[in-house]
Amino acid sequence: MATSLPTPEPLKVVQIDGLVVLKIIKHCRESYPTDVTGQLLGLDDKGLLEVTNCFPFPLDGDDDTSAQYQLDMMRCLRAVNVDNNTVGWYRSAHLGNFVDANLIETQYSYQNSLSANSVVIIHDVSKSAAQSNLSLRAFRLQDAFMKAYEAKKFTTESLAQAKLSFSNIFEELPVKVHNSHLVTLMLHNLEMPTLDSSRLRTLSTFASSQKEQSVADEARPLAPNFDVLDLELDPFMQKNLEYLLDCSDLQQQEQNNYQYWQRSMAREQTKMQTWLTKRKQENVHRAQQGKPLLPEDEVNTLFKLPAEPSRLESMILSAQMHNFTKQLNQFAGPSLARLYSIQELQK
Amino acid sequence: MASTSDALYVSVGNIGTAPHQRPFTCTVSPVVLFAVLDQYLRRDEQQSKAIGALLGVRSDDGSEVEIRNSFGVIYTEESSEIVVDKEHYRNMYELHQRVNPEEVILGWYTSGTGLSPAISPIHSTFAPDTAPFHPIHVTFDTESLIKSDGLGVHAYTSAPVGFSSTSGDSIFLPVQCEIKYLDAERSGLDMLASAKSTETRSASLLSDMDHLEVAVNKLQEMLERISRYVDSVVEGKEKPNNAIGRYIMDTVSVVPKVDTTAFEKMFNSHLQDLLMVVYLANMTRTQLSITEKLNLLVPN
Repeated sequence: MATSLPTPEPLKVVQIDGLVVLKIIKHCRESYPTDVTGQLLGLDDKGLLEVTNCFPFPLDGDDDTSAQYQLDMMRCLRAVNVDNNTVGWYRSAHLGNFVDANLIETQYSYQNSLSANSVVIIHDVSKSAAQSNLSLRAFRLQDAFMKAYEAKKFTTESLAQAKLSFSNIFEELPVKVHNSHLVTLMLHNLEMPTLDSSRLRTLSTFASSQKEQSVADEARPLAPNFDVLDLELDPFMQKNLEYLLDCSDLQQQEQNNYQYWQRSMAREQTKMQTWLTKRKQENVHRAQQGKPLLPEDEVNTLFKLPAEPSRLESMILSAQMHNFTKQLNQFAGPSLARLYSIQELQK
Repeated sequence: MASTSDALYVSVGNIGTAPHQRPFTCTVSPVVLFAVLDQYLRRDEQQSKAIGALLGVRSDDGSEVEIRNSFGVIYTEESSEIVVDKEHYRNMYELHQRVNPEEVILGWYTSGTGLSPAISPIHSTFAPDTAPFHPIHVTFDTESLIKSDGLGVHAYTSAPVGFSSTSGDSIFLPVQCEIKYLDAERSGLDMLASAKSTETRSASLLSDMDHLEVAVNKLQEMLERISRYVDSVVEGKEKPNNAIGRYIMDTVSVVPKVDTTAFEKMFNSHLQDLLMVVYLANMTRTQLSITEKLNLLVPN
């Protein structure tokens, strides 16, 4: 580029508008179980990334049509005064299985082409449903990793030099949710209780109380949500463990690849050594007989050392496994708390 | 909130009437509310209200209408008539269709109160897309948000009336309209609602443990309130209310009474499963960190 853009300030926080949160949830939930993506629009201001609107991408279509779709959508949205600035993209995930090569590639192209401050927001559909706690995380690739990805060199040495490992591929940013005044007003109005005690009718049996549930529910749509106190933990843990096992299998394959490469390297090197010693012997022989010496550096052209396989895949897998284990831990904490509280209740 | 004002509903509905003439209820998803308010905030200086189209699904027999999505359209005011930019509207609709083909145009909305004769022409622009159903018109009253406790959302359907030749003339009949949301949205909405009490109108996302803590605190608070109420009734300070008493009794009796040994067994096995998984997870993590350290130590 002719002129260099001023380097933006490093991002510290991502602030998402309420509207964007709801739109992302709606889009991801509607397309369960396929993963979907969409674009984030907003402003980047002094280390605070504000996301004010978003739109989903259609699933079908190749690069050209989706680029066209993007342009059309942005144009139409600009007509209604929506911020026209792309600041990142979002993606849906299930139980944390989002770390893969696709994610890194897309995020890399966003960070490269748009600005160093693009983020990817991952909304975890199954986790939000299981824990009834909204799971929305923001990530961006770290600079060191970006440089390595550009060079496309992922040998063990280059990684060790750059001190890169699976834990510093991504940088997670804290996410805040923000509402406008009007929306805040509406939320307050939504919560106004409309049922007072004089209007309650006496219930005769337990069965009739079940039918009357709806009356109480209607009264307070934002009543405290106690789904989080559910004890059900088997499906979540099961799925998590399944994913973890799949990941370890893949990791095992990668390890095998690497070992195979190491073995073939070793074989080639021994072959080289034997050939070199033979050459040396011959040279000594010839020196004795006074004939011209044979070159020794033919060794490099005769024997090709196999290229080291890229460690990127195994790094990604390790990051993914790390994520799963972290999730399991995080899930176990509240589950223990719930179990013990049930025990107390029984006494 | 359900509008229960005495209203003139489209009354007759049986198998004989055509689907588009039957009465229906309409539910609005919270995304639409937020989107409309956002558009209202971002409108141009001269325009006094925001207008847009509503997308959603209709149940098969036409009796339930769900409004799930919306987008704004641009309009110009020419000689006290409002003209909608059709091309922009078409484009947006097509783009939305590509992502979600099952959402169809159900109607349109405006952000001001009141219905005036001026809106009939706009109504007729949306009519061809919703044929044979009549477009639903929803008003989001921002003034009433500020002044009263209600939400200011009213829905109307049109019915052709009179003998005039202009096609748009119709009377607008109020329709019952309520806000409905699903489980996944619930957690998001709770998150947003927690932001409403802070000074800066923002809240950061809670970790799972914090979320549990908040819920347990709320539960405790509720139990305190109830026990205080019961105490005061027993002491005679408050009038006993049979309905509330009944509710309390039902709630308390919901806790299942399980035999202690059976409970101990269940509890322990559950606990053991949990601990075993945690142990395995931690072992994997240590393994991963060891590989990380080893990789970094490779001599060059």
